[in-house]
Amino acid sequence: MHPTTLMYTSSLLLMFAVLLYPLLVTFTSLPLNNDWASSHAKTAVKSAFLISLAPLSLFLSTGMEAVTSSWTWMVTTTLDITLSFKFDHYSIIFIPIALYVTWSILEFATWYMHSDPLMNRFFKYLLTFLVAMLILVSANNLFQLFIGWEGVGIMSFLLIGWWHGRADANTAALQAVLYNRVGDIGLILGMAWLATNVNSWDIQQMFILSKNLDMTLPLLGLILAATGKSAQFGLHPWLPAAMEGPTPVSALLHSSTMVVAGIFLLIRMSPLMENNQTALTLCLCLGALTTMFTATCALTQNDIKKIVAFSTSSQLGLMMVTIGLNQPQLAFLHICTHAFFKAMLFLCSGSVIHSLNDEQDIRKMGGLHHLAPFTSSCLTVGSLALTGTPFLAGFFSKDAIIEALNTSHVNAWALTLTLIATSFTAIYSLRVIFFVTMGTPRFLPLSPINENNPAVINPLKRLAWGSIFGGLLVMLNINLFKTPVLTMPAELKLAALAVSILGLLTALELATLTSKQFKVTPLRTPHHFSTSLGFVPAIIHRQIPQLSLLLGQKIASQMVDQTWLEKTGPKAIANATTPLASATSNMQQGLIKTYLTLFLMTLVLVTLISTT
Amino acid sequence: MAGVGFQRWVRTLSKGKISGISGLLPACRSGEILTYFPINIGEIAAAAKKYNIRVEDYKPIADNGEGYGDYPQLPDRSQQDRDPAYQWDHPDLRRNWNEPMHWDFDMFIRNRVDTSPTVVPWSTMCKQLFGFVGFMLFMFYLGDKFPAYQPVGPKQFPYNNLHLERGGSPDVEPEEVKNYEI
Repeated sequence: MHPTTLMYTSSLLLMFAVLLYPLLVTFTSLPLNNDWASSHAKTAVKSAFLISLAPLSLFLSTGMEAVTSSWTWMVTTTLDITLSFKFDHYSIIFIPIALYVTWSILEFATWYMHSDPLMNRFFKYLLTFLVAMLILVSANNLFQLFIGWEGVGIMSFLLIGWWHGRADANTAALQAVLYNRVGDIGLILGMAWLATNVNSWDIQQMFILSKNLDMTLPLLGLILAATGKSAQFGLHPWLPAAMEGPTPVSALLHSSTMVVAGIFLLIRMSPLMENNQTALTLCLCLGALTTMFTATCALTQNDIKKIVAFSTSSQLGLMMVTIGLNQPQLAFLHICTHAFFKAMLFLCSGSVIHSLNDEQDIRKMGGLHHLAPFTSSCLTVGSLALTGTPFLAGFFSKDAIIEALNTSHVNAWALTLTLIATSFTAIYSLRVIFFVTMGTPRFLPLSPINENNPAVINPLKRLAWGSIFGGLLVMLNINLFKTPVLTMPAELKLAALAVSILGLLTALELATLTSKQFKVTPLRTPHHFSTSLGFVPAIIHRQIPQLSLLLGQKIASQMVDQTWLEKTGPKAIANATTPLASATSNMQQGLIKTYLTLFLMTLVLVTLISTT
Repeated sequence: MAGVGFQRWVRTLSKGKISGISGLLPACRSGEILTYFPINIGEIAAAAKKYNIRVEDYKPIADNGEGYGDYPQLPDRSQQDRDPAYQWDHPDLRRNWNEPMHWDFDMFIRNRVDTSPTVVPWSTMCKQLFGFVGFMLFMFYLGDKFPAYQPVGPKQFPYNNLHLERGGSPDVEPEEVKNYEI
């Protein structure tokens, strides 16, 4: 084996070993020590991150990618499945970032979940999720990817429903599973098509063998899978509902890692999509609709976690738009930078929530700039990175995407929607900062505001460094696969910045209006549309389950018996033959003498005619 | 609901005054298991007592041959619709002990269908959502017909359209190619 490949494979093996060891320890009956979460789980992730820097540095210096296939899983006449890992540009860069973010989140969770009696189980679930995510990211065949895909789905269910005594959390967990399942239909459709037509689930083989085939159907399946997993419009309601889970779960799963799995799948399969204009247009339009719709919903939410959740959904829509522009690498870049600042925004929200005694409504926060200066600074930095402030992390990816959008041959409405969503991003980000950090406090004086714990400060600090320098570091070290268009009019170059500043100024104006006494604002239709999340949960979550459950109950209990016994069975026969029998018997009036006379007359007539 | 009938059957059988299947028959005849649609006031009162509701509230499900028997038609309201602040016997289920269950109770649990009133009427919600989606689809169609792109023109090289580099003779006067003014 080539030394580089050996290095990649052994690093991954070591990472898995380091991450699996704490999990396996929990399966024995030995009691865990008090700080198992901190000493074992968090340390394991930190060590895994440091180990993952080795293949990263090797890749950055040599640019060498590798594919390792080891144990043969299944061999049939038409399909081979092996345990196969792909160490390419995407997985080698994503794994350290995911581990860095997870390390910070686990350290934060040692503070956040401190009062939870089952904290060790919580960390076990998070570690299991991380292992499943690494399997997904490093998979070289669709079967292994599917294992990771389902693994992250199940852990998402368990973690969202962490406080399972709460009915709303159970409902949210069920929503996550069901919407992901609908997406899985697409993934399995794609896998089945590929298995039957291309006879392979191996990424390299699929790309070569599908050169002359019409890939529309499997690509639609993969896009459906991404719609489910990455909460695109249509299958998006589970993501805001997933905020029922603890904040570390929201930070890890539903912003940085799990929700990008759908986009990651499309990025991995992007060579299949390059030549299929239908799939690209669908991605573009779906992504544009998602980013605009969820940004609209985020404008009027009052729960700080819901705003950040919709912000995540909006950025996922932007990544989908990028894939629709045939720029998978820019989408990947956005995944990497987005992980830093979104996780930081969630951790800041968690710090604020705990500081205000579990208050999540931004209308009851305020003035935290003076009371929790570090948290509010990180919140501000994260929001600025999110809006694409020049030279922070988000700028390098977001601005590149908007430039690519402006200079491409695209659907004009998709372009418009994406720019509107970019300005909305600035609006709701400023709304969060205004309500949380500025002004005077709107909460009770005796709130346990304390950010002095290193378990809070250190993760926020690390993620803040990542949010500031992450984009620059990644951009400086990667080679772009597609030549970016560098010449464009100044208006297009500055478009992203201009719409963001416009949004910021609009939001500032609206925010200052809240401190003035105006006349009572009448009920506004767009406000209802936005606050009620476009009425999608209200309509879909009532209508579809009601129809299917009612129909199921009716068929099972009443209709089977009624159909077979009454409508088509004995009663139906009785109902059909009774009119016939009564009609016949009504016709028989019992006039025997008349019948006999007619009979004799006919007989005489026949005799007379036959004899003549 | 089939399970309820089976439980009743087992309970009657286990009461055990008469052995075997014949022990079952008196219960059948008295209407303990087979429930018939109540016709007169006596049957209505007995059914209301059986289901633990007041006679005024008792309303049997209409007899369309579907086999509901004397089961009451309870209001179609979900558990989520009930008062969260009231001291229920089972607070998570929002239900009191021995309360009559709706025929579709499994649909109306808090994790499933919610019938609580919405801020905006149902018809308005449907119109707004589907109108929004329809509008977006129409605009995407228009955007596809009139796409946005940067204007491009044919290439224009310097040095007289690269006359010498392309093998042109230095003596011949090259023709001027001007596609656009820079």
